[in-house]
Amino acid sequence: MKYEFLDSSLLARLGAIPVEMRSAMIGNVAGRHRSPHRGSSVEFAEYRKYVAGDDTRRLDWKAFARSDRFYIKEFEADTNLRAYFVVDASGSMKFHGPQGEAKIAYANRIAASLAYLLVNQGDAAGLSVCTDKLHLEVPPSRRPAHLQHIFDTLGKLEPSGDTGLVPALHTIAEKISQRAFVVILSDLFTDTQAFSDALQHLRYRKHDICVFHLMDPQELGFEFDRPHRFVDMEDGTSLVVEPNLIADEYHSALREFLTTVRAKCHDAAADYQLVPTNTPLEPLLRDFLTARLPKKGHS
Amino acid sequence: MTFLQSWMLWGLFAASIPIIIHLLNRRRHKTVMWAAMQFLLKATRESRGKKKLRHILILTCRALGIAALATAAARPLLSGMLGWGGGKPDLVVLILDRSASMEATPKNGTVPRRDLALQRVKNALNDFQGTRLVLIDSASGQPQEVPSPDVLDRISSAAPTDTAADIATLAGRAAEFLTESPGRAELWIASDLQKSNWKPENDRWTSVRAALSSLPQPPKLRILSLGGEPSPNQSIRLLSSHRAGPQLVLDIEISRSDDSAAPVNLPLTATLNGGARSTTNVNVAGQNFRFRKVIPVPPNEESGYGWLSIPGDGNLRDNAAFFAYGPARPIKSLLIAPPGEAGDYISIAAAPAGHASQSIERIDPAALSRLETDGIASIFWAAPLPTGQVAETLNRFLIDGGVVVFFAPQGESTASFLGLSWSAITTAEKDKYFILDSWDHDDGLLRDGLDGTPLPAERFKAVKRRLPEGEATALARWDDGKTFVTRRVVERGTAWFVGSQPDYTWSNLGDADILLPGAQRAVADGAQRFDAGYLADIGSKAAAPRAGEGRARLDDYGAPVPSNEAYEAGIQRFGERVMALNRPAVEDDPEILSNDALKGLLQGTGYSLFEDQSLSVSSSGPSDIWRGFLVAMLFFLISEALLCLPKKSAADAVPLPGRPSKV
Repeated sequence: MKYEFLDSSLLARLGAIPVEMRSAMIGNVAGRHRSPHRGSSVEFAEYRKYVAGDDTRRLDWKAFARSDRFYIKEFEADTNLRAYFVVDASGSMKFHGPQGEAKIAYANRIAASLAYLLVNQGDAAGLSVCTDKLHLEVPPSRRPAHLQHIFDTLGKLEPSGDTGLVPALHTIAEKISQRAFVVILSDLFTDTQAFSDALQHLRYRKHDICVFHLMDPQELGFEFDRPHRFVDMEDGTSLVVEPNLIADEYHSALREFLTTVRAKCHDAAADYQLVPTNTPLEPLLRDFLTARLPKKGHS
Repeated sequence: MTFLQSWMLWGLFAASIPIIIHLLNRRRHKTVMWAAMQFLLKATRESRGKKKLRHILILTCRALGIAALATAAARPLLSGMLGWGGGKPDLVVLILDRSASMEATPKNGTVPRRDLALQRVKNALNDFQGTRLVLIDSASGQPQEVPSPDVLDRISSAAPTDTAADIATLAGRAAEFLTESPGRAELWIASDLQKSNWKPENDRWTSVRAALSSLPQPPKLRILSLGGEPSPNQSIRLLSSHRAGPQLVLDIEISRSDDSAAPVNLPLTATLNGGARSTTNVNVAGQNFRFRKVIPVPPNEESGYGWLSIPGDGNLRDNAAFFAYGPARPIKSLLIAPPGEAGDYISIAAAPAGHASQSIERIDPAALSRLETDGIASIFWAAPLPTGQVAETLNRFLIDGGVVVFFAPQGESTASFLGLSWSAITTAEKDKYFILDSWDHDDGLLRDGLDGTPLPAERFKAVKRRLPEGEATALARWDDGKTFVTRRVVERGTAWFVGSQPDYTWSNLGDADILLPGAQRAVADGAQRFDAGYLADIGSKAAAPRAGEGRARLDDYGAPVPSNEAYEAGIQRFGERVMALNRPAVEDDPEILSNDALKGLLQGTGYSLFEDQSLSVSSSGPSDIWRGFLVAMLFFLISEALLCLPKKSAADAVPLPGRPSKV
């Protein structure tokens, strides 16, 4: 495979785990995901009273024989899903410390891997890349050849400028009329309240939201042994500080930010994952996929 | 504070190393591209204040720790006298004030100021191994090498004396000595800062300042002022003594310096010729008490000596006044006056009946061609001012210490004497008189009595007067401000000019209210010079033996030190002469030189003044305090370590992902 963010052996191992949704999806073709509509799958859903115009073929004659009433036997509908990978390509995503890879690279690996798994199980995958100046979209498609387009787009990403995550999420929320799986890959260095509003917008549209919050270990640890000039990767401003002196305040501010983001995601029923970029990808994705599998005893 | 290894103080520059490292670190920062800028900005905003202060404290502790180490290595000595700065000098020139006032003990103390000063100097010098000490004492004024500070309080050149001190002269001598002594020198002056010893008005101070400043290596000047407030003290002083027939008349002054205003009853012991003693009680009221003491002279002794003493107190050197006397001699006066009432009254006042020792010879000015003044105590002149040869004779008489009283003459004359002349006669308006408005109660012929009783000069009235014109000191004035009595001092003698005469066509001066005491005072002052040969101040020329004369102490008052007898008050025999030597009157002057005056005197010399208020000889010695600086260094380093300890904050309680938690 020519894309460095794709690990075929990893994909092979993860291929056994289906990508499940937490809520019903509305797809355009049959698939493996529950649909809000009744369909013709083998999985029984419920009985309902017959009303004029119902297809008589779906009458449950055995129930009629027992109760002398007409019931329609309904089954779950299975459909495919549309997955949108929203990748933040702002300048800050380019950052990488001595221990981790660049956040954008890590985001690419997650997006590419999940897109591959989804398309492989018959779902459609699309891509949305956003900065303050650019909002690039690759519409979802379930054709395997479409993956090539997605991978090419990810491979050419060059992070720069300020983040355009929040407008991009609002655009997606407005644009996608049917329920979809929205995967956000970002360091979320944006206004948390505006991000929360965007999540609420997506939730209102009944999308299944998943947030991969990517942070470099150096950003989390903030361990330096001498004064540094810190240059902002987004707007170029700089600041000379002695990290030892402000480490406590930095961690305090970071902790407050993470707590707020987690809370906002929880409020929007989004699946939140804080991902240090030195985390191995396989356990991360395995855990992610496993956690989304339906629990035993639940339909 | 001073330092035995002062070169180690260069190490103080090392105190700047932590700061330099800090500044270099700040300049040599690494540039890093950073994404999480929002937390950085917030953290920077919040870390100002306490964090910055903590960081400054850490830097300060590091710098002070190094400074304390360098200071400890320089072996600092703590001594109030040595003050700050300077290392070990090669030479210390000590000017020691040995005047009588230095024997006063500080309030609540028992050790005289001189002993305290010596002890301070000794203690200060003990750590200066190898420093040369040269003593210039105020009595001899000669530089003297002192082999070791330990012997300082045992050598005779540092023993107590009854002399006065002239600090300006001594400082000049020290400057001369330092000119010939190369090396790093210090000039120390141990004194009680008595103003009369420092003589701030003395022009010599200008040359002293110039001499000290012009030295190739100007010495460090330290002034050691001892003891602060003095103990309560009474001093006795002989104002005058004269033989009056079979009696010796002594005018005495007892001065008190204490906080009490109540009179003090002092036993006054008179010792005559080393044997006979008599004690009387004197009730001393006020700060200065003057009185006359009459001592009968034994009939078979023509001459002799003795002393008056009071009990020991705050200063043991001012409790005795010595006197000596010779054979009784008649007191002769001259009266130059034309026949008439004025001359008669003056004659009676100058030699009253019953005073066999006093006599007066009356000469008519018309018959005066030549004046014989040998053996004459005073001259009363109620005639036109002298001219020519007579004036010259009169001038010589004054120079030799005689007293002349000129009364306003009857006749018109334009003659002048000593630059003074008489104005024309003025007459008071009808039924009005010239009366005295003010006169000096402390000085002059009209001064109050020894017991403070004033002369009844307010009773004096005149209808005619003549004003003394010329440059002289006015001591009594008429009610219109014009001069009545003036004084002109001519070397040792005094000329008085009285603007009226004891004639009832002129005034009631003949009533004797003021004429008698005034005339008697003039006679006594004139006769003083005949007794002056028996009295001298210690340190004066008169107190030294003449060529060929030996010196022997006759009295046993106090504890005479033979090697120090030239500087001690007492009765001394110079050849055939007997002299009573007393401490100079200036030593009883309690006025202390103010700090401002001292600053003016020593301007530009960079002097340091140490006012030692302690009372014990053991205090204020220099102490080696390097251990203290080591402790301080440890303190600073421990403080720095504590400040550097990471603060246990709430942030550490919940570890961040990707960041190891702190245990």
